Amino acid sequence: MEIKKILLTENKRWILGSAFVAILLILPILFLLTGLYALEKTSLSYLWETLLLDYTFNTFYLIIITAFFSLLFGIFPAWYISNYKFKGRFLFDLALYLPLAIPSYIMAFTYSDILSFTGPIQSFLRANFYQASLFFNRDYLQIEILGVILALALYPYIYTASRVSFTLLGSNYINVAKNLGLSSINTFYKIIIPLSRPAIFSGLFLVLMEVLNEYGAVKYFGINTYTTGIFRAWFSMNDVGAAIQLSVIMLIVVFTFFYIEKYISSKTRYYYKINTQIQKLSKLTFKNKIVVYLVCSIPFLFGFLIPFLFIVNNVLTTYHLVNIKDLTDLTFNSVIVSTISSALIIIFALFFLFIEKISKTRLNYYISQSISLGYAIPGAVIGLGLIIMFTSIKNIFSSFSLLGTFTLLIYAYIIRFLAVGKAPIKSSIEKQPDSYDDTAKNLGLSPFMLLKKIHLPINKFALITAFIVTFIDLMKELPITLILRPFNFDTLATQTYEFAIEEMIPLSSIYSLSIILIGSILLLILKNILNKQIDVS
Amino acid sequence: MYLEVKGLVKYYKKNIPIIKGLDFSVNKGEIISFIGESGSGKTTFLKCLSGLEKINEGSISLNGVRLNDNNTFVRAQERKISFVFQDYPLFPHFNLIENITLNLKNNYENKLNFILELTNLGKLLDRYPHELSGGEQQRACIARALVREPDLLLLDEPFSNLDSNIKLSVREEIHKIVKETNTTTILVTHDINDSLNIADRILIFKAGVLQQYDNPENMYCKPANCYCAEILGELNQIDIDKKSYFLRPEKIKVVSKSNDKVIVKKCFFQGKEYKIEGIFNGNIWHFFSPTPLNQNQSVYIKYNNDDLIYFNSMCRNFFE
Repeated sequence: MEIKKILLTENKRWILGSAFVAILLILPILFLLTGLYALEKTSLSYLWETLLLDYTFNTFYLIIITAFFSLLFGIFPAWYISNYKFKGRFLFDLALYLPLAIPSYIMAFTYSDILSFTGPIQSFLRANFYQASLFFNRDYLQIEILGVILALALYPYIYTASRVSFTLLGSNYINVAKNLGLSSINTFYKIIIPLSRPAIFSGLFLVLMEVLNEYGAVKYFGINTYTTGIFRAWFSMNDVGAAIQLSVIMLIVVFTFFYIEKYISSKTRYYYKINTQIQKLSKLTFKNKIVVYLVCSIPFLFGFLIPFLFIVNNVLTTYHLVNIKDLTDLTFNSVIVSTISSALIIIFALFFLFIEKISKTRLNYYISQSISLGYAIPGAVIGLGLIIMFTSIKNIFSSFSLLGTFTLLIYAYIIRFLAVGKAPIKSSIEKQPDSYDDTAKNLGLSPFMLLKKIHLPINKFALITAFIVTFIDLMKELPITLILRPFNFDTLATQTYEFAIEEMIPLSSIYSLSIILIGSILLLILKNILNKQIDVS
Repeated sequence: MYLEVKGLVKYYKKNIPIIKGLDFSVNKGEIISFIGESGSGKTTFLKCLSGLEKINEGSISLNGVRLNDNNTFVRAQERKISFVFQDYPLFPHFNLIENITLNLKNNYENKLNFILELTNLGKLLDRYPHELSGGEQQRACIARALVREPDLLLLDEPFSNLDSNIKLSVREEIHKIVKETNTTTILVTHDINDSLNIADRILIFKAGVLQQYDNPENMYCKPANCYCAEILGELNQIDIDKKSYFLRPEKIKVVSKSNDKVIVKKCFFQGKEYKIEGIFNGNIWHFFSPTPLNQNQSVYIKYNNDDLIYFNSMCRNFFE
């Protein structure tokens, strides 16, 4: 019935086109799954007996620690900034987004250097408080420390989601709660948090996916997770079978999280009216002001300022060693590959969403859902899937090979980051009534003209937002680039990683700083756009 | 006096006061309707009463207790004042009974059954807000407010989100409930019919100043100024001895013969009677007729001079 409906619709060429592109985006994962079929059964039992338990325990333990601290660093500042008046509120609101500009692996390299025996803290203690220095002389490359560091890098996902949710909830529910005699703490836990649960979970889901996808930081800390397992099995042990099995296990974990998130969101998605009034901010007592400044300063200080200053200091001490030509080339590589990929991602995202909107078929709904899964799939898994797919194609058509090309790298980026570009455009398109499309149709506009004349201009800000968000993520991307980059091709991210893994962190700083500066500038532009969108005045 | 408001001043910016020295009092069990245009400060006034906003000058006392003045401020959580808000009635993540009993102390439980019966919500307790109709949601808000046995009930535009067919029944139910529970109530509305139907007294508020505070009949028939007169219903202007007088359409009767002749311009069917628009002495007049009248037909009308309302000629300029 659905196929018949599609064939009869006037948009059938658009729908079939989107189905074809969607298949291309899902194909690598299907190849990965078929690869599992061809494996010997004994290798799974070998994996289970040797490494799997360790990988599983570490992965989940790291997820729990990171999730806990991300919630802590994200929710409370968002609450205070959304509801209270204090000096520096606007600056904190900007600053608390900035850790998004620092890739988590750079954060991990930097903190390991700060905390190391030769780092500034231990050196200072040895020089001034020798006895105390003995206490602090420990191995800081621990999973718990890494969890906190990852939380410092990833909490902005929760901060952003909570901030938008708290602002949209506005003061009305707080007023009702006050009138019913609820204290501020009870209002927060009984009313605000439950109503914001879907938003907080969506932010938390992104954090969990990032932790699962994390390679650089985890590898540097020497912790065995699924992702490092895939790399080790593949590159160090040359065991493609074990890499595929680990990828599939990871996929199962990812899909479980994905459906838990969907289930919780659907169960706790409440119908409430969005705040349309200018929110009056409450004043703080002196005691509460201290708490608020502490709560807002800690994530910014440890998540951005300290690593940033440390990196700047490293750059100042090593600038004479910097090869300017290398730096320019790598910046150019990063910017160009991120720009091309982001532009393509935005075009694909708009294409899928537009067809979903005009076709209104179940097929397009499922297409749109399935292409979003890419973000939940770790880069290492996508990379492996693509290599298996193109190796199989090469076996059939020996003259056709995309392995080690830019095309393949960009293909992988599109699969992984399409959902990132899609999210802002989707929320913008959903706000527009169907009557726009009906009116345009009534005025004789073809689907292409409808896209060009109506949807492109109306969704301009969403497209810019989507481009910036995707660009920043791509600039920081590591596992896919490490696996699929063309020979002799480096980006700022891969160069940072390679220096750090060779214990040359000061030399990696200039590349880290470049990523952070480009990301920070774009984030400030993005924050400006976002603030305009949630500003009801 | 049960509720006493003296010299209340409220502003967010000192040079733009929202309420300028409001004085009025309410007896126990009275329903007061607060009328004013959008943005006139009605909701701000309710927030001041409930403790969600602090007043800048003056005082508020309830049942002999000073709630707010220069030295005193009783927090919203500690006032026994229930506020039924306009737009955000129920918490969406709680079902109806959880909404009603939220933060309710044990000793109120006996009252609960009585209120649930009164509001006819007994069979809907497990439903979530999105599963309730507008009228049911509104009754639930009233129940949540009343079960706390408030010293004062504040209703902010409680009928504004309701369809006209259920609005009447909800209005009647609310009136019945607050009267049966003898709850002192302040109803903020912009709908004159709501005020005229259920209020014991009406307070008209304009530009931060109380314009008139009286019972509905006096408000309608003896308005203090042209603003109060116009806000409560239509007026027809008549010039006698170079002075402008005004007359309510209801006070005009169509008769077979009189000295006053009107040329009919339009005739609107309104159910039980017809509303006529016509020209009288060069002014456009409105009145009612039991039978339809034709365009350009001449009809005679009659009115009582005692029903004429006079305002100073500067009145209109002052309010425009």
